[in-house]
Amino acid sequence: MGKVIVVTSGKGGVGKSTSTANLGTALAVLGKKVAVVDADVGLRNLDVIMGLESRVVYTSMDVLEGVCELEQALVKDRRTKDLYLLAASQKNNKNDIQPEQMKKLCLELKETHDYVLVDSPAGIEQGFQNAAAGADDALVVTTPEVAAVRDADRIIGLLQNMAINNLTLIINRLSPEMVKTGDMMEPTDIIDILSIDLIGVIPEDKEIVVSTNRGMPTTYNHKSDAGQAYKRIAQRLEGEDVPIPEFKSGGFAGWVGKLFKG
Amino acid sequence: MFRRLMQLLNREQKSKSVAKSRLQLILVQDRTGIDEEIMESLQTELTEVLSKYFILEREQVEVELEREQDSMALVANIPVLGTKVRHPVEA
Ligand SMILES: Nc1ncnc2c1ncn2[C@@H]1O[C@H](COP(=O)(O)OP(=O)(O)O)[C@@H](O)[C@H]1O
Ligand SMILES: [Mg+2]
Repeated sequence: MGKVIVVTSGKGGVGKSTSTANLGTALAVLGKKVAVVDADVGLRNLDVIMGLESRVVYTSMDVLEGVCELEQALVKDRRTKDLYLLAASQKNNKNDIQPEQMKKLCLELKETHDYVLVDSPAGIEQGFQNAAAGADDALVVTTPEVAAVRDADRIIGLLQNMAINNLTLIINRLSPEMVKTGDMMEPTDIIDILSIDLIGVIPEDKEIVVSTNRGMPTTYNHKSDAGQAYKRIAQRLEGEDVPIPEFKSGGFAGWVGKLFKG
Repeated sequence: MFRRLMQLLNREQKSKSVAKSRLQLILVQDRTGIDEEIMESLQTELTEVLSKYFILEREQVEVELEREQDSMALVANIPVLGTKVRHPVEA
């Protein structure tokens, strides 16, 4: 029996879909059987980020409506063994799915996969409720900005109310230069405020845009700092004791220095 | 809270420190549901009650909700100029 992890944030555009695609890929590269599920109904884009859009035939809505079997709706990623995508319907509305249905879908998926990563839509309404309904754990994504951290705090409260207590934080788009000049909150500041555990820091990286253009998750790029940071998060999810280099004591220079050496 | 925020913003500070302070204040309000208005009426009532016993420097009274890690505290700064009680109050 695998684990269902919802990737969520409250605020839009902070990197939920990017994180879902990259972590899903990184976990599959580690040899795990993974399903990534797009729960952003009506605004699907996980298929595009993963470069699988042309192969989507059925969506989760088709499964729920009995149009096809779950198995048939899973798009196999040919680049990596055991990586599957369940796309969201582009036509329907978030309110057409009920939390109970999502829960059942997740349960079914985790029987046959080690990891089920659910990409949540922005917001705290029905769409988020659906995405989180079947989750065992949550990855909360934020950027080092006031509005994003505020929304993360809100989401953390809601997740805790749903009895999802294994919550960890991904800080995305950290710019070491800006931290250095005192113009960006650093991981310690954000952890202080949110009081949840940090699972990784993803630097601002142009490669994210390049890889999204290509439909090829950054994780495949060994030269990308962001891609490597996602790989380390996948290892931590697997329980490996990979230190968070980007968050080591020894002051700022210490962790930033290490971040870019690996 | 607002006064304190403005002080923080006005000081020549790195923007990251301003961001952190603003966040802390915003989250206290988000988490408790207690906003500026409620804090002001609390402060007014508190000042009324205390004025029965003390001569206060009313303009300087400040009551704030502060947050550290998981705990919260009501922090009040109430300058007292003198007392209105002639004899110790019998308990
Ligand atoms: N670490 C990063 N460095 C640079 N650009 C990023 C990074 N993470 C995300 N982006 C960009 O930010 C935008 C929003 O990301 P996305 O994953 O779609 O966010 P969300 O799913 O939370 O709305 C995308 O254009 C993406 O390419
Ligand atoms: Mg998204």
